[in-house]
Amino acid sequence: MSALQTFLLVVDHDKQEAKQIAEQIAQDVEAKKTTLIEVVQSLGEYINDEDPILRGKAVSYLTAVIKALPPKFLSRQQIQVLNSFFCDRIEDGGAVAGLDTLQKLDRFNKELAEEVVQAIFEHFQDLQSRSQSQRFQVYQLLNDLMSAHRSALYDMGDYSLVGMVDLMTGEKDPRNLMLVFSILKVVMVEWDITNHTELLFDSVYNYFPITFRPPPNDPYGITAQDLKDRLQECISSTSQFAPHSIPSLLDKLDSTSPNVKRDALNALLACINSYDPDTVSTYSITIWESLKFEILNAQEEFLSELSLQILQDIAKRLSEGVTQVSDQLPLAHYMRPVTKECNEQLREPQQKQARPAQQILRFISAASFASFTLAVQAVVPPLLTIYQEADGIAKQRALLDTLVVLFDAALELFGEWTTRTSEPNVDNPLLEFKDQFSDIFGQALMGVVKEEVSFRISALKGLLRLSTLRYFFQDNEVGLFVQYLDEILLQEQPIGRDDLKKEAIAALTEISKHKPRLIMDITFPAFVATLPDSDDGTNSNYLTTLESLAQISVEKDIFETLVRRLLSKLNILLQKEQPGSVAYPRAILVTILYVMSQRKMDQDPHLELYYDKIVVSMCRDVAASASGKAKNNILNDATVLDTLGRLCNLIVRSLPRNKQDEVAENVYTLYSATEDSSPVPFSHSASDDQLRTMIISTYILAGLPSDCANLPYTHPTMSALLFDIVKRSTTECAPATHLAFLRHLALLVNKFLPKSDLGIATELFDTLLPSNAEETTLRPESIRSIFWLSKALVLRLAPKTTDLLTSLLSLLSSPEEVTSMTAARGFSILLREDDVLSATNGANIRLLSKQRVFTTLLPLISGKIREVNVAGSDSPTPQHIKPAHLTALSGILSTIPPALVMPELPTILPLLLQSLDLQTSDSQSVRAATLETLAVIIRDNGVGVIEECGHVQSLVTRLLSTAEYKPASEKSVAVNSPRLRVNALKCLFLLAQAPSSDAPAVAKAGKLSPLLPVKAQVIRSLRFVLDDPKRDVRKAAVDARGAWLRGVDDAPDDDE
Amino acid sequence: MVSEIQNSNPTILNAADLPTRLQPTLSCKPGVFGDGSFASTLSLVNTIELFPEGSYLSTELDSDDDLMEELIDRQEIYDLVSTISDPEHPISLGALAVVSLPDICITPTLPYVPDSPLRTVSVLITPTITHCSLATVIGLGVRVRLEQSLPPRFRVDVRIKEGTHSTADEVNKQLADKERVAAALENATLMGVIAKMLETCQ
Repeated sequence: MSALQTFLLVVDHDKQEAKQIAEQIAQDVEAKKTTLIEVVQSLGEYINDEDPILRGKAVSYLTAVIKALPPKFLSRQQIQVLNSFFCDRIEDGGAVAGLDTLQKLDRFNKELAEEVVQAIFEHFQDLQSRSQSQRFQVYQLLNDLMSAHRSALYDMGDYSLVGMVDLMTGEKDPRNLMLVFSILKVVMVEWDITNHTELLFDSVYNYFPITFRPPPNDPYGITAQDLKDRLQECISSTSQFAPHSIPSLLDKLDSTSPNVKRDALNALLACINSYDPDTVSTYSITIWESLKFEILNAQEEFLSELSLQILQDIAKRLSEGVTQVSDQLPLAHYMRPVTKECNEQLREPQQKQARPAQQILRFISAASFASFTLAVQAVVPPLLTIYQEADGIAKQRALLDTLVVLFDAALELFGEWTTRTSEPNVDNPLLEFKDQFSDIFGQALMGVVKEEVSFRISALKGLLRLSTLRYFFQDNEVGLFVQYLDEILLQEQPIGRDDLKKEAIAALTEISKHKPRLIMDITFPAFVATLPDSDDGTNSNYLTTLESLAQISVEKDIFETLVRRLLSKLNILLQKEQPGSVAYPRAILVTILYVMSQRKMDQDPHLELYYDKIVVSMCRDVAASASGKAKNNILNDATVLDTLGRLCNLIVRSLPRNKQDEVAENVYTLYSATEDSSPVPFSHSASDDQLRTMIISTYILAGLPSDCANLPYTHPTMSALLFDIVKRSTTECAPATHLAFLRHLALLVNKFLPKSDLGIATELFDTLLPSNAEETTLRPESIRSIFWLSKALVLRLAPKTTDLLTSLLSLLSSPEEVTSMTAARGFSILLREDDVLSATNGANIRLLSKQRVFTTLLPLISGKIREVNVAGSDSPTPQHIKPAHLTALSGILSTIPPALVMPELPTILPLLLQSLDLQTSDSQSVRAATLETLAVIIRDNGVGVIEECGHVQSLVTRLLSTAEYKPASEKSVAVNSPRLRVNALKCLFLLAQAPSSDAPAVAKAGKLSPLLPVKAQVIRSLRFVLDDPKRDVRKAAVDARGAWLRGVDDAPDDDE
Repeated sequence: MVSEIQNSNPTILNAADLPTRLQPTLSCKPGVFGDGSFASTLSLVNTIELFPEGSYLSTELDSDDDLMEELIDRQEIYDLVSTISDPEHPISLGALAVVSLPDICITPTLPYVPDSPLRTVSVLITPTITHCSLATVIGLGVRVRLEQSLPPRFRVDVRIKEGTHSTADEVNKQLADKERVAAALENATLMGVIAKMLETCQ
């Protein structure tokens, strides 16, 4: 059997073997064992067969052989012969592939290409009736010829143009269309299309708009967007299409489908950016006339945005190359009707269409310097006239807003003072109106009744923009505005929500970035002058001043001045015999703290100065004050110390290492000389004032790195220090001092205690909580120490964490109610964020600690509660055990992320419901925490999860009874505070809130809401909550009721 | 339902100029110390939270407040209806001045029975143009909103403000007629329009 016969046999079912056969023959030809002529001749009997399939296979054989030959093997003559052969047989399968192989060869030339093209045009008149893959092959061949032998096609001119259009007309397959569009685009761009513009345009525009939707699991991955993009490239390819494309696209805007309109607008945008400016100019006004409607009566936001973009891009195109603005420019012709329309609409600036008119103005003026100039010339004078004639402040305000829109465009074009780009070499046309603007806006800000807040805010915004606009105002003009702002902040009484003052501060902050000098020269002295020497209790206006100062002092130089000025104020206060209220020094410290926390202190060049002035010298003052050597007792106040401590903490954290070592040595001595120092640890006679300095010591300690070597009392171990601190923390003392000891203990154990010494901590724990704890009575101070110590250990996941947690839980079962309840509240300490023991301060907080606490405690608590429930009320278990456990649970829940709660929902939901049932007098906070947890669960997961646990009815009933207003007449009934009522209503609201929109509509359809059975009950009960004495509660009830009325559908009606 | 827009260019009031309730708390506290983190820096120091029990104590403050009753007033009614959207524009009735504070009043339903808790709320509606055929729909929307949001002891009375509409009497008759209101609310299309108007209520 010859190779050909074998090939014909296997080609259908074994492509690989067929290929091998062809390769073998090719090798034979190459080795001259046989000749190409012989191969062609061997086809003889088959290629004239009646059966087209057989003919096709035979031709494929030849193609396969040629494909397997090396690219340079065939001579020109051979190629020519083969080419003619394939062209004759082009309709037979395999011939197109053969031609495609041939045209890739180096010796293939232009004449041959022409022959192929002609063969295609002649033989494939009926291409569209052939199969998709055959058509694809033909397009592929044409596409390849287009890239390799374009000149051949190009020289055929109109013949190839018409031929290709005819060939491709009627194509519907998306894969083929992708090819068709890209072939035709070449023709559109490169051919002379004058004779056939419309034909060519129609050949692609027929496909507009594309409504293709890819089948699911489409293996070719062609999206509608791909097709739209290619089609759009075709439509926008040449300006010659403009007479056809622009009217047709504008016609499509009459469509009722927003998507079609979007496609049309996108195509229009592409045309404007690709057609030449003259063409754009011809159609600019026609386009404006059509798009005007889309913007003024916007159906959809995105359509109006696209339309605005088109208007702007037309202006940009028409501005190309414009150097001199004149009335005769195409740009001017285009803008005339636009600005005229805007002027007309803006005559009544409060009406609805004034806003779109403002947007048109904004977009078109920001297109270029030229368009800005034209817009300003056309619009500003009439606006100013209307302003003068306006009969009301509301109208004037709307006009100011319009001018502000122009200022925004100016900022976009000319930049702000801080803009780094090169200076524009065009004069700002607004300069002509500078004085008028100053007058109008200044008058509007300062010259009207103070109550016209929104009007004044508009004026303020305008002046702010003009002040930041590059090369516009002179410094003295900005300075005048700064003075206005100072006046507003310092002299005016607050009005309403005080929005004006907020805006004024924001404006000063903004100006401080551009003109810091003005702020330092004008605002600073004015503000600092109003600060009193001391707070005699008569007025606390200094708080406002300090707040303003803090907010405008973010800029570097201003910040430094602020700190220096405030520190000197503070030092004066510290020297006074009668310093007045401590609120004032504390507010000064808070201001410094606030500003410092807004900046990156570790990069501040003055850091060492702040260290000396604040940490070193103030700490020294604190130590002196504690020993009674100060002139007054400011630095003996716990809140002042707390603020100062935070400030020191912030600075110490940013210090370089060598300085930190110096700090470490002074943690307890607070930089006082050895003979004066009386460090708190191990001291026998420390006074309350001295003990209080531990607040500072704790904050400083928190700022030090964990491997700090110079800490006092830590060698060889910190055992003695720890025991001393614990002893002090369990003795009664002032709350703030007590907290400092607790935090100090936790810091040492969590951050500084080496792993090898963890035994010391366990020993401490056992001392505090002997294993027979249930028998002994523990003081509240001891319980807190136990929890803080546990917090330190749990956060670093010390080896004994589980035992620790179990021992803590056993405290809840104490027969002593006080012990049990104090411990129950302690559970919220464990995982709560703390300002001292925090990640920022480098505390050792393991990621899994929260999960560990939760998963260890939840089953134990749940088990205990079940036990109590089963035992019933006659059991000997004391009454307080169950509330204590629920309180502990709510303490933990409030400190862990909801994501951890979700997997345990079936366990936890019944517990939460029981928490809502608590009626004890102090159950309010437990119930509040429970409601917060529930709200998060419901908000994140919808009603579905509640339904899965089967608790919808019981949850809703409890929420309704918590929402109820019960007057506090009977002592026994726990009152629902307004906050509880609001939170319960919020949960009800969230329940009915439709599940997030990403849930497919199909999934919801046909399924009744699980809330339906309780809907009537909720609607009825809420009707009475609407009469709650508290407004916030009523508001929440209105929202909840509305959500239930709207969101919970009744059984679907049959008639729909 | 209505294809032609009847008033395409109505006057709009600025949101900041609409009547609002000034929260008494706002004027005394953040008035002094703004919002943003400065206030939180301060409060963090002012109310140094010593122990978790701290938060337990705060609930007592709550119940102190609890004694002060806040009656339902005109502003509250205004807040309920001013956020309804106009059926023609995505703009609120408040901004279009269709409802306004002075046109709302609350009166005892039975003035001769001083102890009666019954109250009547009347709301006068000002259509944007005198021949607006949507006035009835707007009136219905306001009515539905109030009936959903007020306790049972309130009677709702919605009318067109005198002299602002060409067929005010007709519309008023329709709005006051319980049967006709009920019949209108059975109409699915009409309810669809009203539900859409109420969607924006906050």
